[in-house]
Amino acid sequence: MTDTNINTPIAPTWCPGCFNFQILAGIKSSLNEEFKKGRSKDDFAIVSGIGCHGKIFDYVNLNGINTLHGRVLPTCLGIKVGNPNLTVIGFSGDGDAYAEGMEHLIHAARYNSDFKYFVHNNQVFALTAGQPTPTTEIGYKDKITPLGVKLHPINPIKLMLSAGATFVARVYADKPQIEYVFKEAMKHKGFAFIEILQPCVIFHPDKGYKERTYSLEEEKHDKTNFDAAMKKADEFDYNLAEKIPLGIFYQKEKTVFEDNFPQLVDLKKKGIGWSSVKR
Amino acid sequence: MKFTILFGGKAGQGVNILSAILGKALTKEGYYVFVSRDYQSLIRGGHNFNVLTFSDKPVYSNNSVIDLIVAQDDNTITLHKKEMKKEGMIIQKEGAGNMYFAGRLFKSLCLDFKILERELKELDRFEENMKEAKEGYEEEKKVACRVVSNKKKLTFRNGNQGITNGAIESGIDVYYAYPMTPATNVMGELAEKQIEKNLVVIELESEIGVMNSAIGSAITGAKTMVGTSGGGFDLMTEALSLTGIAEVPVVIYLASRPGPSTGVATYSGQGDLELARHAGHGEFPRLVIAPGDPDECEEITSQAFYFSQKFGIPAIVLSDKHLAEGTYTSDRKTTITPSKKLTKLGRYNSYEKDKFGCATEDAEQIKKNVDERIKKWKEFEKETEKFEGFKIYGNKNSKNVVLFWGSTKGAILDAMENVNAKFVQVLYMDPFSSKIKKEIEGKNIILVENNATAQLGKLVAEKTGIFIEEKNKILRYDGRPFLSDELNNELRKRIK
Repeated sequence: MTDTNINTPIAPTWCPGCFNFQILAGIKSSLNEEFKKGRSKDDFAIVSGIGCHGKIFDYVNLNGINTLHGRVLPTCLGIKVGNPNLTVIGFSGDGDAYAEGMEHLIHAARYNSDFKYFVHNNQVFALTAGQPTPTTEIGYKDKITPLGVKLHPINPIKLMLSAGATFVARVYADKPQIEYVFKEAMKHKGFAFIEILQPCVIFHPDKGYKERTYSLEEEKHDKTNFDAAMKKADEFDYNLAEKIPLGIFYQKEKTVFEDNFPQLVDLKKKGIGWSSVKR
Repeated sequence: MKFTILFGGKAGQGVNILSAILGKALTKEGYYVFVSRDYQSLIRGGHNFNVLTFSDKPVYSNNSVIDLIVAQDDNTITLHKKEMKKEGMIIQKEGAGNMYFAGRLFKSLCLDFKILERELKELDRFEENMKEAKEGYEEEKKVACRVVSNKKKLTFRNGNQGITNGAIESGIDVYYAYPMTPATNVMGELAEKQIEKNLVVIELESEIGVMNSAIGSAITGAKTMVGTSGGGFDLMTEALSLTGIAEVPVVIYLASRPGPSTGVATYSGQGDLELARHAGHGEFPRLVIAPGDPDECEEITSQAFYFSQKFGIPAIVLSDKHLAEGTYTSDRKTTITPSKKLTKLGRYNSYEKDKFGCATEDAEQIKKNVDERIKKWKEFEKETEKFEGFKIYGNKNSKNVVLFWGSTKGAILDAMENVNAKFVQVLYMDPFSSKIKKEIEGKNIILVENNATAQLGKLVAEKTGIFIEEKNKILRYDGRPFLSDELNNELRKRIK
């Protein structure tokens, strides 16, 4: 039998009650689904950035790299170019994805390389002890912002939609919907953007978000309708809002990045990466 | 014989095509040719010029005296007539087509029209070009120089083409870049050949994206290379440090131009030796090698792949605009160092890691990792001693030593006449050969560099304890390359 144990002997150092535990469980469960289908650990590569989210690399025993802060996306792209047969999963925090790595995020949506990208959005720089990120709400105060945050948060869902992302979803860390969305993301061909709203129990606890969320699937939202997706994205501006939609906002098929290169298509046909190309 | 032609005109008039046609044709006729490019950072207008020097003996640089000016505009004559010999010749006609000049030029050099026709066949617009060329050929009555064919087999290429060939010969799989002069042409050359040679060339959003994607590809086992100039390299340095800790093999082509910052974007300089040696935080091994001509570009690129694959390290090939875009003839057969693909996908980390590939803060584990990297570093240094870390020319027993590196090689080789000295070209900058010290110790050392602070001089002082006298430093830092006759004068002033 092939080894499908993805546990590492490392004990997580997330805070007690951290929502990253739920995300880890969700990821492991969707990976185990893949193994049930007969896929092996060698079919996968994972990439994480720097921040609390990045520790997930230590708790999932798959190949890949715990890379630099903000550089998860180009690293994922590079792995896909190196071997387009790998299923590549990237993890970032909101600092990673929306601050330091923003230039890559917009282009990742445009490139549509075939990998999954999970953003653990706790709306705060947690591992550096509570500074605001680009999605922190107006009025948030910490040591470096005694006057309170004045800037409007960016809306990553709208940003991804307008940048041309082909799979745009948002989930809440401890809602069962996460499994459905993860499963759909794994099936998607192209760049799958999944934002996970995740309270930080120390620096940014849930401010009443959870009760205000509702499921797009239950509401029968048409995920093929771009305009409807933009409207739904507008409902939550990352300040405290009446309603927070969760689920798949938008999904469409588009040529994936790797398929623009006959050389990479050839590697896909042969089921190999460049490492096996003899010259 | 040695003959120098200056081709001048506005950007877009085709100075480059003209000098390339003549250069290729002369190479096929068995002549040694060197072409340098001087162009401004603009697309149309301004003033661009190329200088082509050819000879029946090896030539690797230009000299300061022009024999013939091909002027596509009046400005060329205004600017360059003073550089021309008294008996020099000018080919000029305002508003004429590019190939008209080619026709007159070939005729004035007594080259058969068929030789020109052969070159025109390799270009688009053959019929129109032929018509223009014939008109020029028939019109020209003066003889500037009698070129007689010989049977020498020569190659004709620029430094960037040498780099490209080296990458292909090394079995490159993936090349990433963001356009930046003077490295951009490597991306173009490789992209043109990507289907035929089965490799992939990708332009990304920034040099940060480039270097991080390169790391992604490299950890899957792909032979990966990136190319840039100083500013782009600066953006890569955080990821360069990542290749240090994660032990990822990436070849980096750094083609310099004068800085700091945007500096002089389309001119040449050797101001980035210290950047290449010191970029990135933390302590980790790297290879920095500087070729001096297109053949060395090819060989050194293959060595960069060899060392980066064997030791899992970044390997920097350092050139500059003069070498990257200067075109040279050669009769030498190059030696490629073959390299295996040795990288396997595993668990890589930007943190210090334990045996599971997980981040660690354990003191014992950290020390163990560092010790292993240092051990590898020593083994790598030892192995570089087997390679040609430096080359020697001239009189090996002379009490004078001329020390140089990179693109100054061309002017140096052409400036050796009547200079009684041992010429030492340093190729491996990091690791620096331990054998260099005894080659230069106790000698009258003269240093030639295209920068203002003598960066090789500082490196030599650091590694050997030998300091070069200020008056013996020949430094040029106006964005222009050395010219052989001027350099010869400078050298002779300092010889004992």
